[in-house]
Amino acid sequence: MRHVFVGVLVLAVMLPFLWMAYAAFLPPEIVYSGDLTSGFGFSLENVRALAAEGFWERLGFSLAVSGLATVLQLLTGLPAAYALREGAPVLGVFLALLAIPGEMLIVPLYGVLQRLHLLDTPGALVLPFAASPLTVYLLYQGLKGVPWEVVEAARLDGASEGVVLRRVVLPLAYPSLVAAGVLAFAAHWNLVLYPRVMVGEAYWTLQVWISDLARRYPADWGLLSAAALLSTLPLALVFLAFERRIMETFEASLKG
Amino acid sequence: MRSARASFTSGRFRPAWAWSLSPSLLVLGGFALYPFLEVVRFASWDWSGLSPPVPVGFANYRALLMDPAFWQSLKVTLAFAGLTLPSLILLSLATALALEGQPYERPVKALLFLPGLVTVGAAAVSWYTLAVPEYGALAAFVPVPPWDREPGWALVMVVAFTLWRHLGYGVLVVSAHLKAIPPELLEAARVDGATPAQALRFVTLPLLRPAVAFLVVVGTILTLQSYVAVFLLTRGGPFGSTRVLGYFIYEVGFEQFRLGYAAAATVALLVVTLAAAYAQARALEGR
Repeated sequence: MRHVFVGVLVLAVMLPFLWMAYAAFLPPEIVYSGDLTSGFGFSLENVRALAAEGFWERLGFSLAVSGLATVLQLLTGLPAAYALREGAPVLGVFLALLAIPGEMLIVPLYGVLQRLHLLDTPGALVLPFAASPLTVYLLYQGLKGVPWEVVEAARLDGASEGVVLRRVVLPLAYPSLVAAGVLAFAAHWNLVLYPRVMVGEAYWTLQVWISDLARRYPADWGLLSAAALLSTLPLALVFLAFERRIMETFEASLKG
Repeated sequence: MRSARASFTSGRFRPAWAWSLSPSLLVLGGFALYPFLEVVRFASWDWSGLSPPVPVGFANYRALLMDPAFWQSLKVTLAFAGLTLPSLILLSLATALALEGQPYERPVKALLFLPGLVTVGAAAVSWYTLAVPEYGALAAFVPVPPWDREPGWALVMVVAFTLWRHLGYGVLVVSAHLKAIPPELLEAARVDGATPAQALRFVTLPLLRPAVAFLVVVGTILTLQSYVAVFLLTRGGPFGSTRVLGYFIYEVGFEQFRLGYAAAATVALLVVTLAAAYAQARALEGR
């Protein structure tokens, strides 16, 4: 019974992925004839068409801004998590910030970015994401789970805070850095409305670009599926590679 | 040796904390806390973002209360949350219980988590081409309800998409709590002659209440404020049937350029969210 339930569920969850992978390589004539049952063909036509639309440049740009935001989040997050682990009494501040709905802040952020002259610049896509309460919280949970005697020993040996952070805490935090990094990257990679509002076409991320592509070629499923597949693949592969780390970090953070 | 806990309870401030905390607090202060306070101020402005703002006091809130589109979208939001939340919680419970202890538990949990991570735009494209009625890929094999024309089905579609994206998280929450239940308890129930169904009903489920409470509160915030699915799948249609508050705010703010009005709507949404989360937390604790 339970195997059947799980099987049906897995199939239902996978269906959009399987369809995406299948449709991405459909020859255009099958897509346009609309008769999916008649036969199967394999074609790279869609990928070539995507390249002509400027897909790879968009992908590169998105990788760059999401990657930069992730690195900054880890760089600001690790010292904060370290201070929390050391007992700085501000955990509540980060938890409260976590509860503020990020995307509901689009209106005021628009004003803030306007005054900072960041509207319509790549900075608008990176700076507001240079720190994240979720990243801090996940890293803090990670540090809570490691033996702290090493840190105290290093300090007794006369190591400065900077050295402790880099030589001792960084390696200890490595697993949660990986997990928090992947989640941070995914969250940034998935922004749709935010970049659409804050920057013009020149700095659109891949997500905005794809939603625009869907508006321009609503019937070209092969092309759209190829775009969807190729934009999902990097993230899916990174997730599956670090899946154990991510799930463990997440589960640990849920236990509180 | 001075432990971290000791320094916490003594609450002594160490200068090194300031160096460690300031980068993150600066960024979050500037781009989260400050905008959060700003939204309240903007709500008292008549402002397009380009024109100089004109202070109008509470006029935006008054207009909001008289705006049928606002009430309609509030209704849609509550209907959406009312459909999504119970389904999310029941499905998460059922799935976590079915998966517990199975050899395929880990890979399946990872798989269920995947939709929440993949790109929303990509997911929406594949859902759309798969499920669009009449000429979608699914329609070649099974009848697909006309969710592009019928308000009720449009809402169901958005709910299904939201469930698909967040089920993995729900399962993870329940599963984490399930693992924390001491096996001796279930063993004792079995020795006392409880059937597996009774053990589930009287031991496991009551112990999972914190997980459910957590999911209810997080899920409320999530569903009340989710609008990306709406933006990508239905654009609020047909006939405004899926125009949730989040999408309403986007429309007034960035399509009609009434930023002050959008800010007032944001404040309203925050109030609704907080009230709902608070009421639920109270109800769940009090029971």
